[in-house]
Amino acid sequence: MSTEPKPGGSLGVAMKRKEDPRFIQGKGRYVDDISLPGMLHLAVVRSPYPHAGITSIDISEAMRVPGVKAVITGKDLEAAGLGWLPTFHGFDKQMVLAIGKVLFQYQEVAAVFAESRGAAADGAEAVHVEYAPLPVVTDPFAARTDQVILRPDREKKTNHIYHWEVGDKDATARALATSPRRISQRIWFQRCHPAPLEPCGCVAQFDAMGRLQFYVTSQAPHVYRTALAIVTGIPEDKIHVVSPDIGGGFGNKVPVYPGYVCAIVGALKLGRPVKWIESRTENLTSTGFARDYHMDVEIGATDDGRMTALHVATTADHGAFDAAADPTKYPAGMFGIVTGSYDVPAAHAEVDAYFTNKAPGGIAYRCSFRVTEASYAIERAMDILADELRMDPVEVRRKNFVRKDQFPYQSRLGFTYDSGDYQKALDVALEKIGYTELLKEQTAKRLRGELMGIGFSTFTEVVGAGPSKHFDILGIKMFDSAEIRIHPTGAGIVRTGTKSQGQGHETTWAQIVAEELGLDPQNIMVEEGDTDTAPYGLGTYASRSTPVAGGAIAMAARRVREKAKKVAAHLLEVGEADVEWKDYKFQVKGVPAKSVTMKEVAFAAYTNMSQNEPGLEASYYYDPPNMTFPSGCYVAVVDVDRETGEVKVRRFLAVDDCGIIINPLIVEGQIHGGLTEGFAIAFMQEIQYDSDGNNLNTNFTDYLLPTSLETPHWETAKVTTPSPHHPIGAKGVGESPNVGSPAAFVNAVIDALSPLGVRHLDMPITRDKVWRAIRAAEAKTALA
Amino acid sequence: MNLQYSGEEKIAVGPGVVWAFVTDPGKVGRCMPEVKEVAVQDQTHVDAVVQVAVGPVRGKFKLKVELLPDASGRRIDMKISGGGFGSAVDMTAGADVVDAGDGTTLLKWSGQAIARGPVAAVGGRVLDAQAKKLIEQAFANVRRELSAPMVDQA
Repeated sequence: MSTEPKPGGSLGVAMKRKEDPRFIQGKGRYVDDISLPGMLHLAVVRSPYPHAGITSIDISEAMRVPGVKAVITGKDLEAAGLGWLPTFHGFDKQMVLAIGKVLFQYQEVAAVFAESRGAAADGAEAVHVEYAPLPVVTDPFAARTDQVILRPDREKKTNHIYHWEVGDKDATARALATSPRRISQRIWFQRCHPAPLEPCGCVAQFDAMGRLQFYVTSQAPHVYRTALAIVTGIPEDKIHVVSPDIGGGFGNKVPVYPGYVCAIVGALKLGRPVKWIESRTENLTSTGFARDYHMDVEIGATDDGRMTALHVATTADHGAFDAAADPTKYPAGMFGIVTGSYDVPAAHAEVDAYFTNKAPGGIAYRCSFRVTEASYAIERAMDILADELRMDPVEVRRKNFVRKDQFPYQSRLGFTYDSGDYQKALDVALEKIGYTELLKEQTAKRLRGELMGIGFSTFTEVVGAGPSKHFDILGIKMFDSAEIRIHPTGAGIVRTGTKSQGQGHETTWAQIVAEELGLDPQNIMVEEGDTDTAPYGLGTYASRSTPVAGGAIAMAARRVREKAKKVAAHLLEVGEADVEWKDYKFQVKGVPAKSVTMKEVAFAAYTNMSQNEPGLEASYYYDPPNMTFPSGCYVAVVDVDRETGEVKVRRFLAVDDCGIIINPLIVEGQIHGGLTEGFAIAFMQEIQYDSDGNNLNTNFTDYLLPTSLETPHWETAKVTTPSPHHPIGAKGVGESPNVGSPAAFVNAVIDALSPLGVRHLDMPITRDKVWRAIRAAEAKTALA
Repeated sequence: MNLQYSGEEKIAVGPGVVWAFVTDPGKVGRCMPEVKEVAVQDQTHVDAVVQVAVGPVRGKFKLKVELLPDASGRRIDMKISGGGFGSAVDMTAGADVVDAGDGTTLLKWSGQAIARGPVAAVGGRVLDAQAKKLIEQAFANVRRELSAPMVDQA
């Protein structure tokens, strides 16, 4: 594997990340590094109550705190027409600061502006709010009884937010009813949180021209600009959004949060810049959570393990507001991918979402809008089916895979899978993990009463939202864009509508341009995140950067190449029709010795362009014809301590098919990071609420992030089936490891516990939970 | 987080003296553990500032106390609500003032509280024991104020 970048031939090179030297040296520039003259600081007063009327807000003591300049409340914002902001999902709105009542613990109630961060915090402490507690609903199943209506502000006086369904309900019901074998299981994907290391924050300033300069931790700067224009009424040309370096996003930095609106209002009201940086607790308790899907899965099958039907009915907990940030037509995101890698003859999926007194969210945490939930449900259920049939989970999967010759494959739930070779990925995994030997070892260990498990997840995800005919956010179609300018010396700059939060765009985007134009990727600068300079795009989330912006970059580069070809014809003194692009240079057809490089053409484009328009640049707005469908086969091998319940992940192998790989080093890093997140979700993480609505996981003592000590060693391998519709055949990989791994971990643990009769445990699979399951199973055996 | 406690104190004075004490908002306010400020609002209302430390969560709580004496003169209820540092507590407590017949009084008390916010989440693991200790301390303070010699002997 080549690691040295070179002009041309840049695709597939494990080039070191161009951005890393500045990050490694601590020279990244994040929002909190921005300090402007006269800048004030914002602190948010938050509700300790999960559901309560607001009787009074007394700001008099806060205004006496030295350094405090102003306090604003929901009533102030309401008077200015800024009481509510639309959620990106488009069907709901969210209070900026509480008006009349609070709906979740840590909800924003007042904003305090002061000369220092400390003074703002002291001021927030001195704001006295009197609450009248109301009944609390923390369980979506209780919410659906409508005994307590949480959102009387809505026209629809019910806690039910929406019903969404896809597939053939009747055919699925008939197929299930006539299936010789059936399994059903409620599978809960717990509420978790992306917990980026850098929490959310912003700096708002109105400059001398009255233009809003807004520095913010945003994964989608252009969408923010448009949303802020809609919410505040400020003309969009008077808004400049800049997302500087971002320390992780994972979907958490897609929504517009109340703190941002408050900072802008404060900057406008006080005529000074305002900075807001949330604390870790504020990030975990009030910004977008992920998952919280209760999925009732039913599979019908023949006696020999062929699936006949799949039905999934989900109860979704959306918290106090429907802030899920899904595309308009997809309230439950891409949950229709729940048929996974399997050719199911009949399928039906439905989701009913409810309000509860919990923080709003349901964001796409390193997944393409509810894909992780869907993938986990089907992969867990496949193991339960195998258990029911007393079959090897590998054979059940193999028997039901979409075959290679079925691509493009039309799923029963509406997606057209682009490409894949599931059998091959599975074969590679079985060979690399040494499945036959592991089975022998497991058999021997079971005879000795030892608990060893092997878990598979042969997932397919859907990413790259998306084709404009289906996908939009707030009505804006989900295309993306690239603008490429090649300088006279053959260096260049590419600007896109995406925004890296650690994905390595400064390197991979340069590699695509270099590959298409035969230039040196080290001399291609990448610029993102500045709405004044970057072309309009929908941003980076839902694994859409490479499938969408990556396509835009390749297409823009090809436009540059088309123009360059005219200049090359002039230099080669032949007609344009006689010039071809071959081996990363222009050459006269049939006369390879007569050629010019792109670097030579670039110089000529500014110095010797003949009748051609000067300059060498192009832009492209790419509307993808379809989504891409990365897939993989993940295998976990675990040992469970029968006495303590401790699970040790002995091995984990990830075989990924993400199509054509731009940079293997970055892909490897993405997989390692995503697997570590999946490991944390499977074994450690849950945002819990007690029945009183208290959030019990408000910091990194109670919401655990794995360190290198806990993290297993990751083994990886690749299978490549290029996406047939993507300009360079790439599919994207950022989310696959997070999407695919939780099921492999859990399936391995359940496989280990299966001799005891354990069929399912919900995540997180904590030591305590495993210990209790073992003790309960042993007690049952003793009674028998 | 719901918390429930009960207990009793034997006080070496008669019920009339105890009743006069527990219906005096200023005196009741000063019996709160770690009390820093007491401001009597009227005959049945008092505001108090108390120092709270539950595990790593430490700060001042501002509390509003409302006394609800029963017309029988034998039972006093109270509502306590307030909070601080992003936390809140809502508490109801009641005490039966029982004549022990030997010139002493039994104060049979019970209370329940709902804690919310960091004090419940971060302090959750130690909150139950800490809250129990505080409420016991409050009624012990009533006893001590009324029968100091007994406390000294103890």
